[in-house]
Amino acid sequence: MNDMTPTREQREAALEGMGCKRKRVEDIRFTQGKGNYVDDVKLPGMLHGDFVRSPHPHARVQKIDDSEALKVPGVLAVITAETLKTVNLAWMPTLAGDVQMVLADGKVLFQNQEVAFVVATDRYAADDGINKVIVEYEPLPPLVDPFKSMDKDAPVLREDLVGKMSGAHGPRKHDNHIFEWTVGDKELTDAAFNKAEVTIKEMISYHRTHPSPLETCQCVCSFDKIKGELTIYGTFQAPHVIRTVVALIAKLPEQKIHVIAPDIGGGFGNKVGAYPGYICAAVASIVTGKPVKWVEDRIENLTATSFARDYHMTTEIAATKDGKVTGLRVHVLADHGAFDACADPSKWPAGFFNIVTGSYDFPTAHLAVDGVYTNKAPGGVAYRCSFRVTEAAYCIERGMDILAQKLKMDPAELRLKNFIKPEQFPYHSALGWEYDSGDYHTAMRKMMETTGYAALRKEQEEKRAAFKRGETREIMGLGVSFFTEIVGAGPSKNCDILGIAMFDSCEIRMHPTGAGIARMGTKSQGQGHETTWAQIIATEIGIPADNIMVEEGNTDTAPYGLGTYGSRSTPVAGAAIAMAARKIKAKAQMIAAYKLEVHEDDLEFDIDGFRVKGLPEKFMSMKDICWAAYNSVPPGMEPGLEAVSYYDPPNMTYPFGAYLCVMDIDVDTGVYKVRRFYALDDCGTRINPMIIEGQVHGGLTEAFAIAMGQEIRYDDVGNVVTGSFMDFFMPTAVETPHWETDFTVTPSPHHPIGAKGVGESPNVGGVPAFSNAVNDAFSFLGSTHIQMPHDFWRNWKAAKELGAVA
Amino acid sequence: MQMNDSQHIPASREQVWAALNDPAVLKQCIPGCQSLDVTAPNEMTATVVFKVGPVKATFSGKVTLSDLDPPNSYRISGEGSGGVAGFAKGGAVVRLESESTDVTVLHYEVDAQIGGKLAQLGARLIDSTAKKLAGEFFASFATVVGGPATSSVEVGAREKGWLKRLTGAG
Repeated sequence: MNDMTPTREQREAALEGMGCKRKRVEDIRFTQGKGNYVDDVKLPGMLHGDFVRSPHPHARVQKIDDSEALKVPGVLAVITAETLKTVNLAWMPTLAGDVQMVLADGKVLFQNQEVAFVVATDRYAADDGINKVIVEYEPLPPLVDPFKSMDKDAPVLREDLVGKMSGAHGPRKHDNHIFEWTVGDKELTDAAFNKAEVTIKEMISYHRTHPSPLETCQCVCSFDKIKGELTIYGTFQAPHVIRTVVALIAKLPEQKIHVIAPDIGGGFGNKVGAYPGYICAAVASIVTGKPVKWVEDRIENLTATSFARDYHMTTEIAATKDGKVTGLRVHVLADHGAFDACADPSKWPAGFFNIVTGSYDFPTAHLAVDGVYTNKAPGGVAYRCSFRVTEAAYCIERGMDILAQKLKMDPAELRLKNFIKPEQFPYHSALGWEYDSGDYHTAMRKMMETTGYAALRKEQEEKRAAFKRGETREIMGLGVSFFTEIVGAGPSKNCDILGIAMFDSCEIRMHPTGAGIARMGTKSQGQGHETTWAQIIATEIGIPADNIMVEEGNTDTAPYGLGTYGSRSTPVAGAAIAMAARKIKAKAQMIAAYKLEVHEDDLEFDIDGFRVKGLPEKFMSMKDICWAAYNSVPPGMEPGLEAVSYYDPPNMTYPFGAYLCVMDIDVDTGVYKVRRFYALDDCGTRINPMIIEGQVHGGLTEAFAIAMGQEIRYDDVGNVVTGSFMDFFMPTAVETPHWETDFTVTPSPHHPIGAKGVGESPNVGGVPAFSNAVNDAFSFLGSTHIQMPHDFWRNWKAAKELGAVA
Repeated sequence: MQMNDSQHIPASREQVWAALNDPAVLKQCIPGCQSLDVTAPNEMTATVVFKVGPVKATFSGKVTLSDLDPPNSYRISGEGSGGVAGFAKGGAVVRLESESTDVTVLHYEVDAQIGGKLAQLGARLIDSTAKKLAGEFFASFATVVGGPATSSVEVGAREKGWLKRLTGAG
């Protein structure tokens, strides 16, 4: 070999494969303002639609008068439920097995509910038209508090369901009841509590919040009357699911529906479901024969499209005196708003909330979830988390801290004592999951050593003494959080959406010059798929990542996939990529064997090509194999080099992490300072460490927002009072703390490349870390649990109630 | 929203009472009032332009006077709709007390409810806006009835713009 021959390291580096901090290729257009979002779609003759919305949370709609609106120059049509009834679209099915009004049909059930859709030549005319639509309402008593939903005298919200004492998930106990979901062994769990040495019980609320992507939900629908084809450009996290839903409810042939999701400015769960705007824009396009655009404004996004959380979790833990947990009992009251529009896999009315045993070895557990209707916006989506996993992690992580406080044990020690041990994996939890892998003790100890946990506790002790002596007005909290996520939905045996198994897919097509295109069933909303997917292929087949183009979001070209949410892309689609790449590699090996005139088994893969075992000079690069695939394949073999894989995962993946938040709170003002935040994540194999770090930063920032102030709040008469970024906390660089990130690597044993998913872990683990820090800070003053969000005012109020402030 | 306050008006109780029952005076004093028509004894319809923070809308609705105890007290209540901006309903109990022959103390207890966009965007501005409007109403009312008024709360100070408050100017 001469000096010009690249070394193995150089060849590997040239691929920019897995493990490489490859710069995000999509950022070239994003950072130059050259992204192509739905609102950039401008079609000839395009019309604009917008909604008349209800100011009332609960009212009967007596009359809609559109005569003045139709006189506004530019206004072409006003669509109401009556219009939609003629095409049988006044109601639509939800992903949770319920039905939802597209436009108010006789009644409105939440403030800002869609009442009529005004179509005009431009957005301004539509807005003027909206102001001229006169709607007469007869206000009805609003039901705001979910704890009152099932009261005897509670107003009945869903008149369409009166008398139906069974819903999509079994029996209903009340007209405002949606479902009851129970898991676990009740008898065994009750017995554990009866003989427990120590128990705790606390109602832990995870308040209603909203994913609030910066780009709101929007679409452009264009119906071609001649061809009978409907094209929908939209902010869809799951474009294929949208196509199937449209085919099913609009009764259009599925091949004549083209769904295109261009660049998306953040999703976080908000863009999984189908919204009235999509249906109305499609109907308006069919009626007018012109393309129709619908773009939400900020208030509409925050108050009418899918919210997240709103779980009220009565949590009980049984334990021995020396801190070994013996049982867990949780009852959840789930506020779903006016319609059950949760975006969960069909068989899981409360998502994967039964991961609530967390990282601990509970011998027995029992869980019951009651879903109820209230006069609030529908939703219940997984805001940067797998289905209801953040709620579960918050529940158990607060519960463990409360138990530690009662036992006068250090919360980190209590966790170490109860962790599932490395040798117990695969571990079967009391609530039915099989945890694939984990090494919790190592992660926890690394966190404690790196942060100097023992020294921080000592400092806290000194500060508390100083506070009691009146030398300081600042209190210090240490928020420990150790979470186990369950992501990668999911195996066809238990996961489907509308009956479609939750596999995902990849199609790779290699071109003659050693380049290729990968098409995916997923859809990036900022996760960097165009970068990371190419890295997996680069390592698998030895073609530089730069030579692989990744395409997502066009249902005509992409293989069917279930989309991107719930940290499922890497666990499911990432596996499909590896499997498709391996099919390419297998064919490439046959071509190489033919060209090198040896048997396939005599070849070994070596970074970027195949080498004859024992004869290092006999080598054929993948680039050359791609060329050969188009001109000299072995006799009998089809030319070309492409492959498709549909991957049905055998199990979920279980990322985990150990977080610590160090916080100081001024009791006189309630102002907090996050002094330090350390996040150790174990997401298995790390594909792009830079993207992982970015994902962790983003997830932690959202966790910080949620724990410390972000909330969708209703007043007692049903007004949403956090309808804009004035009142809904959206942290900027000013408020956001500094993040320290770290990792361990425990690959998933069943995933082709051992990856587990990471995008949502920091939100799952972050919220309890912040909340535990606040609660830990106040605990020595006598409090057990303070509800989120912990904004300045609530901190001050807590200090006052605990007697720390006069 | 609730608001209780009182106002000194330089006029006799009878004069104040008469003015409180005079639609022309009310129309002149209600901030943003564009029309006020008597439809029946003690019943009026009104159109008022109302602005809270970023939301500005024309409200039209009904105003009713009840529990009349001349010249001591009444209840004024109303309900109006501002279309997409939302709705408002509420009322006030107004009570008059003679401090001297030519000074009357007017006590009022307001109880109001708002809904729709007004509540969503203006929640944090409602109380201060309501106080500001009440201040404006009574300033005009006192002028119409009997010359400049003095309030038990410093209306003027609150009316300073935020910029002035920040800079201390004005």
